[in-house]
Amino acid sequence: MADYREAPLATRPKTLDPNEYFNVSKEYRRAEEERAAIRVNLKKQYQMQLNNPHRKELIEDPALTRWVHARANPYLYFKPTFKTSLLGLLFGVVPLFGLYFIFKTDRDRKEAQIKAGTLERKFSLSS
Amino acid sequence: MRTSPSVRQQRPVNMAGVGFRRWAQALSKGKGSGISALLSGFRAASGSSKDTVLGPVPKTPEEMAAAAKKYNLRVEDYEPYPDKGEGFGDYPKLADRSQHERDPWYKWDHPDLRRNWGEPMHWNFDMYIRNRVDTSPSPVAWGTMCKQLFGFIGFMLFMFYIGEEFKSYQPVAPKQYPYNNLYLEKGGDPEKQPEEVKNYEI
Repeated sequence: MADYREAPLATRPKTLDPNEYFNVSKEYRRAEEERAAIRVNLKKQYQMQLNNPHRKELIEDPALTRWVHARANPYLYFKPTFKTSLLGLLFGVVPLFGLYFIFKTDRDRKEAQIKAGTLERKFSLSS
Repeated sequence: MRTSPSVRQQRPVNMAGVGFRRWAQALSKGKGSGISALLSGFRAASGSSKDTVLGPVPKTPEEMAAAAKKYNLRVEDYEPYPDKGEGFGDYPKLADRSQHERDPWYKWDHPDLRRNWGEPMHWNFDMYIRNRVDTSPSPVAWGTMCKQLFGFIGFMLFMFYIGEEFKSYQPVAPKQYPYNNLYLEKGGDPEKQPEEVKNYEI
């Protein structure tokens, strides 16, 4: 393991991290064991449901449900602060009115030129 | 009649009939009157319960512990997003690593997503799947790559702009036509004598 070099576009896997094997403190070990316990519990729940021969329905994933609910309800705990209102204005209001004015002035100018006969009819594909 | 989970009977049950019967029973036993009696009384067992719903940002240690338990995280690992009113609630803040970086050889429950069942999902999980954003380390530093790419593009744009300003090609003049600038070909009168056009200088 001492001469292992990471693959150029990959992160080093956790099982080859030297900090997992050397200078391991008791707190780190305890933390890893707790995480492993949670993981094992979830694995067990999943396998029990997966291999249950009487199961007819889909296995529901509560983490997925929570994620979907969180992403689908962004305004449950939304508070209009300075930053959020600024962002809302910047992305919602400014492009709307700004683009309207830009397009309107450009089109009006072109229409006036056509009416006056001063529009340069070029052969280029853009404008 | 309750059937135990291990013994399933094949007798078909009309669920609509069962539901209607139970509703009528609740109505007759209920204490309210009028519309409230019809509507209240019992609620459906489906729908989200409180532990699948996003909660408010936790402030006290008890709230943090409850939220960590809800999301299947250790209390020390659980870190909510800072409360800036951005709508995250108590959703945990996980490391911004894409699914590309996860071990390809471990036996995940969902191998294409490289995720186990019940594992807390990143807020931007749909961005970090293996078809999309990849946060794997790059062979050269990010800053170097940006500088090289934008430097090259900027230099080429600048040089093309200079080329437009200071054009350099052989000098040209408008094409000169013989026969008095093609007087007859352009529909001139054959009787009339055209004016002499001299396109050369000796």
